[in-house]
Amino acid sequence: MRKVLAVVRREFVERVRQRWFWVMAALAPVFFGALVIVPTLLMSKGGVKRIVLVDGTTSTFGMELTARLDRESLFIAVRVPVSSRTSDSLMAAVDRKEIDGFLIVNDVAVDSGKVMYRASNVSSFVTIGTLEHVISEMVNARRLEREGVNPALVQKARIPLQLDSKKVSGGKETGQSAGQSFALAYFMGIILYMAILLYGINVMSSVLEEKTTKIVEVLVSSVRPFQLLLGKVLGVGAVSIFQFLLWGVSTRLLLSQRAKLFGGGDGGGPFQMPHVNGSTAAIFIAYFLGGFLLYSAMFAAVGAMSSNEQEARQAQQPVVMLLVASFISMFAMLNDPGSTLSVTLSMIPFSAPIAMPVRWAAGNLPLSEVALSLGILTVSILGVTWIAARIYRVGILMTGKRPNIKELVRRVRAA
Amino acid sequence: MPEPIVAVDRITKRFAGHTAVDALSLSVPPGVIFGLLGPNGAGKSTTIRMILNIYAPDSGTVRLFGESGTGRDHTGRIGYLPEERGLYPKMRVLDVLLFLAELKGVDRRAARPKALDWLARMGLSDWRMRKVNELSKGMQQKVQFISTILHEPDLLVMDEAFSGLDPVNSQVLKDTVLELRARGKTILFSTHIMEQAEKVCDHVCIIARGKKLVDGTLADIKRTHGGKHVLVNFDGTRGDADRIFADRRQVAKADVSGQFAELELTAQGDAQEILKALVTSGARLSRFELAEPSLNKIFIDLVGPEAATASARPDAEVSRA
Repeated sequence: MRKVLAVVRREFVERVRQRWFWVMAALAPVFFGALVIVPTLLMSKGGVKRIVLVDGTTSTFGMELTARLDRESLFIAVRVPVSSRTSDSLMAAVDRKEIDGFLIVNDVAVDSGKVMYRASNVSSFVTIGTLEHVISEMVNARRLEREGVNPALVQKARIPLQLDSKKVSGGKETGQSAGQSFALAYFMGIILYMAILLYGINVMSSVLEEKTTKIVEVLVSSVRPFQLLLGKVLGVGAVSIFQFLLWGVSTRLLLSQRAKLFGGGDGGGPFQMPHVNGSTAAIFIAYFLGGFLLYSAMFAAVGAMSSNEQEARQAQQPVVMLLVASFISMFAMLNDPGSTLSVTLSMIPFSAPIAMPVRWAAGNLPLSEVALSLGILTVSILGVTWIAARIYRVGILMTGKRPNIKELVRRVRAA
Repeated sequence: MPEPIVAVDRITKRFAGHTAVDALSLSVPPGVIFGLLGPNGAGKSTTIRMILNIYAPDSGTVRLFGESGTGRDHTGRIGYLPEERGLYPKMRVLDVLLFLAELKGVDRRAARPKALDWLARMGLSDWRMRKVNELSKGMQQKVQFISTILHEPDLLVMDEAFSGLDPVNSQVLKDTVLELRARGKTILFSTHIMEQAEKVCDHVCIIARGKKLVDGTLADIKRTHGGKHVLVNFDGTRGDADRIFADRRQVAKADVSGQFAELELTAQGDAQEILKALVTSGARLSRFELAEPSLNKIFIDLVGPEAATASARPDAEVSRA
């Protein structure tokens, strides 16, 4: 055991001494910070929208809608009566950036619910959302009044809805909004993918370095190959955890200084800093470690099979693809964390390390599913490590041609 | 007879359709310098790796220090210098030494003064905090050698011990090996360079194509395989030497190279007759000596010229390496 610790210590110390470790430690929080802050800055910069309401109604609906929109802090609304040339001249005004957009409302709007909005930017979902909300509220009120419902009653029935969405987890409210859940799932997916890939490849190059420098022969005359592999994986794993700690601390620091650094408030953007509670952190760490162990075992086997960098880069492709596929499928899962696809992916051990934390962050999950997924992952880690250790044991002392699948199977059986 | 330090009993190792080591037995007594000799591809490295438990033999047993347990179990008592040298290029010299000592079971704190002491002895004190790849090749060899003996092993195993060493390091290695033997340690090394083996070995074992041809003390082997040998040095004029050396009644074998010849006489061969014939034919001699055969001569006689083909099989090389 002392020898395993010596290997762990070497892997840890030598990595932490390297420059790239500290470059990563410094750059990553800036990068993550930018992911949070830049959208917020962009959103708030959008500011107030100047819109023109082209009123083609014969009632007071147009005027009321203009007044109502103008009351929203998001809009400065001006009403103009309809004429044959309005549309063209307003288009030109949008082009010259004198106004941000215009609405065209006429009498049928109340019946059909059809209202036209033309603007330089229709992708801001805050703007569009507010417009839809205000207009449908006004249309509903007008329809009811037309049916003879007392205007006062309509006024009373018009309770402004404020959907206070908070995620419930473990029978408790988490204080996390839908936007925050999305952001959390998104970030966890990216970080898991990057970290597993980065540190998996770290294990591979470490194996390869010992092989190409020939020092491995001295090592395996002193320690069992499995001890060496174990020490290596644990050492690199410890480096990754240390890196996470550094990221966590410095990101916290950066965010607490956000107001001072960027002048803006907390911002109402979709990328609000999510609240990470204990159980989410535990899921993240558990699946990171699981994914790291699973993939680093495979990467170690790849390193042991190759005799130089080029060969390794080629041989690592299948393993990397497996990880990339899991990462890409994250976007499908963010849309619907409960779909059959999502559930399947979170059970398959190779995609589970990314899929499960993403689903966990995006929506509430039954603990039984997490337990099942973790169980499958654990069994797979043992199986994959068993095979990888055999490939490793034979591979580290082998030079020359890289074995094909058939030879590989034979070696694993013989080892 | 004391318990041998290394007792190898009929070990066999096969690689993909090729037998690298075939039922080889040998026994290394304590406190000797033991040479494992053979041409390239004879199975020396494979034998050494099986002794150290880097490879497991397909059959046969290896017993170390008269105790049970594999080479890896006894690793703290064994120093190993493999044929292919190498250290971590980006690690500091002192850190490499401490790490390798730790793997041998030595505590870091205990290893540190010893490592510094050895670095000073080898003139590398100023380099201890430098990275390995900043050192010259010769210095790296010294560092690797220190790493082999830092934990004070009872058994030192060196594969192709002297290959790739510059003359200075070669001398350092030889001195240290002799010093270790004087302190009662046992040294097992392989080489295909007979002159080196002849200078330092007490015992030798010659193998070819995975099989043992002969083993024993150097003196015994020379006696049994010697026959009567004559060393001749010419001083310019060779006279009728070639005809005299070709006389199969007197000379069984002649190994002639320019001004030097090593002759193996037949059972009835008479050195005096040959000397007379040479002088009569007008040859001028600077040396005419009745001698033991050189190890190189015995080696070539035993192994035969065709032994070189054993190493020419590419598949054998791939699987061995």
